[in-house]
Amino acid sequence: MSHRFRALGCAVAAATVLAACAGPAPDDPGGGPTVITFWSSLRGTQAVVDAFNATHTDIQVDLDMTPSGAAGTNAKLTNATRAGNAPDVATADYVSLPAFAIDGAFLDLTDRVDDGFRAKLLPQAWDQVTFDGHVYAVPIDIEPQVLFYRRDLFEQHGIAVPRTWAEFEQAARDLKAAAPDTRLSTFFTSSAAHLAGLSMQVGGQWFSTAGGHWSLDFTDPGTMRVAEYWQRLVDEDLVNVAPINSQQWQAGINNGTIATYVNGAWAAAALMRSNPGGAGKWAVAPLPQWDPARPAVGVTGGSVFGITVDSEHPDEAMEFLRWMVTDPEAFEARLSSGTSSMFPAAPDLIGVADEGFDRSYFGGQDIYALFRREAATVPEGWVWGPRMTATNKIIEEGLARVTYGDTVAEALERGQEESLPDMRALGLAVDER
Amino acid sequence: MTATIETPPVATQAAKQCRRPSETRVPGQQRAVVVLLAPFAALCLGVFVVPAAYAIYLSVFSQLHSGLGFGNGRTVFVGLHNFVVVLTDPSFLRSIGVTLAYIVLFIPILVVGSLAFALLLDSGLARARQFAQTALFLPHAVPGIIAAIIWLYLYTPGISPVLALLYDLNIQVDLLGQTLLIPSMVNIALWGGLGYNTVIFYTALQAVPREVMEAAAVDGAGAVRTALRVKVPMVRASVVTVGMFTLVGTLQLFTEPMLLAQSTPLIGNRFTPNMYIFDAAFNRSNYGLASAASVLLLVLCCLLSYAVARYSSRGARA
Repeated sequence: MSHRFRALGCAVAAATVLAACAGPAPDDPGGGPTVITFWSSLRGTQAVVDAFNATHTDIQVDLDMTPSGAAGTNAKLTNATRAGNAPDVATADYVSLPAFAIDGAFLDLTDRVDDGFRAKLLPQAWDQVTFDGHVYAVPIDIEPQVLFYRRDLFEQHGIAVPRTWAEFEQAARDLKAAAPDTRLSTFFTSSAAHLAGLSMQVGGQWFSTAGGHWSLDFTDPGTMRVAEYWQRLVDEDLVNVAPINSQQWQAGINNGTIATYVNGAWAAAALMRSNPGGAGKWAVAPLPQWDPARPAVGVTGGSVFGITVDSEHPDEAMEFLRWMVTDPEAFEARLSSGTSSMFPAAPDLIGVADEGFDRSYFGGQDIYALFRREAATVPEGWVWGPRMTATNKIIEEGLARVTYGDTVAEALERGQEESLPDMRALGLAVDER
Repeated sequence: MTATIETPPVATQAAKQCRRPSETRVPGQQRAVVVLLAPFAALCLGVFVVPAAYAIYLSVFSQLHSGLGFGNGRTVFVGLHNFVVVLTDPSFLRSIGVTLAYIVLFIPILVVGSLAFALLLDSGLARARQFAQTALFLPHAVPGIIAAIIWLYLYTPGISPVLALLYDLNIQVDLLGQTLLIPSMVNIALWGGLGYNTVIFYTALQAVPREVMEAAAVDGAGAVRTALRVKVPMVRASVVTVGMFTLVGTLQLFTEPMLLAQSTPLIGNRFTPNMYIFDAAFNRSNYGLASAASVLLLVLCCLLSYAVARYSSRGARA
């Protein structure tokens, strides 16, 4: 499949070269477009690259689809960087970006981000790709956490959509009383990123880079509030405990014994794909608040593009990146390849995303309007750690033990404790708060 | 390697007695020795000595950063710093703990189990020995990774027919849960190891002189007594060797937990020392740390092998 697409891309590229030769003499005496190589695991990227290649004559992009996840693209990119043969442009996620920046895999883009470009993307998105005052990647989306819920089940049992976490807890009790086999939500044992998003909402700050050194505090008051809250729901059997995307969880989503779940905006399309039978039953609500007077919401997910240190064409690569994250055509192409509910970091593109999204699954609800309101409340200042993938994995190992009597707080403590040796081995200035 | 395993102490003594005087050298013998040893030497050098030396070299270097670390890394000689980090890393120490728990369960069951099978095969009670031997050996022919995938299928709730059957009988077991996780992994390894080691023990038992057995029978020892008091001491050397190889193999546990990790988050990225090394190198991209951990594991393997070998030779002399 991808080979055929690549062949198509090459054919388009070749045709462009031929057209350039046949037409008036090109400006560049060297002839031929600059080819930049691109590694990505994001859905719909082939269509984006094809659209770029079709509309650009001086730059052509050669895409290699890479496997997603830490064991896929991240390891491949790290090894390629060591070997000195990384592509010009690569996709990463917010969570693993600091590691790439520290390892020197990605170029410092600060001087290439002019004020005009900066103004086109949300400050919260820039915030998460800026370390120590330097920009290391270009964000494409920002994924505020929202509450996906079964509208039909809520109506059937006369439960109102919770606006605060206190209401959420009450709803969990009411639903359990009304339908003993159904639980309001699921505590994910396999996703430290979810827990991080929930902590972000209440002002938690696991890592900080203030004062020129890394500080770690996974048990700050905000995070502990979240940990204790979910611990109580788990202990009182008011929520399921399962890994996200596990068969057990998926079965609950499909058969209606799980009434809500929390995830980033992108998950709307994922839900449509994995649970087609839920069309018309699901709806999206803002994430419940701790303090409705000061609304805030964390993020889960989100992707960025970096230019690698091996790139021989950083200027062309930057032009491609800028096009990819701000040009409506790029977003249209991404959405044309199938369902996606990525929430663009560029507010100008929300309309494109909204138009390209099939609203019928969520009963015609204008979910993009909701995402837009939520994205504006994402707090600035959250920093992912220098080896966040490894840190998350340790926390998840602890969360998996919540079923066996360990606590959420213990998982966080261990995550902090076992992240430190790594950071010390890197020679980083570390201060454990 | 196999010669050591299959030679019981009695045979070694016999070999010593009829050893050819050293002065009668056959012409060209030295060249033959060189030719015969060359492939082994080349392989040992290529796949063991050179990588081990390189790991030792890498282990004293580190990609060091200053301050927050963004974009200022440089490779620096750090001496034993990486070793200190590994040895004080709670996740590495825990991985050693997990491995020890696994060893304590696995090695006794494996050795006692395969010895019992071998004694049964040797006892004269077993019929169709050739068939039994092949049948026992067969699971070993299945590559470890394939076996682990099959077991993963049998262990995973929701797709496992075995668990479904048990569920119908109102028995609910979580084979990948906290309590049964290590026993479940031991089970996978047992199926591959039992038959293989049974064959080794059986071969060793075949070399036990029949006169000894006859003497035992004349002295009035029953089958069980003969097995435990006569046969087992005579295959002691192979028991120790099997124990040693299993120990070294177990310290490098990787495939089974790596695959099972797909189905249970209880198995983290640093569950065993080998997984810790893999995680350090490819998830944390810290080659110095990974090398230091590898060197420590190598040292541990060497020390344990040496200890077991010493113990075994002392036993043989006694």
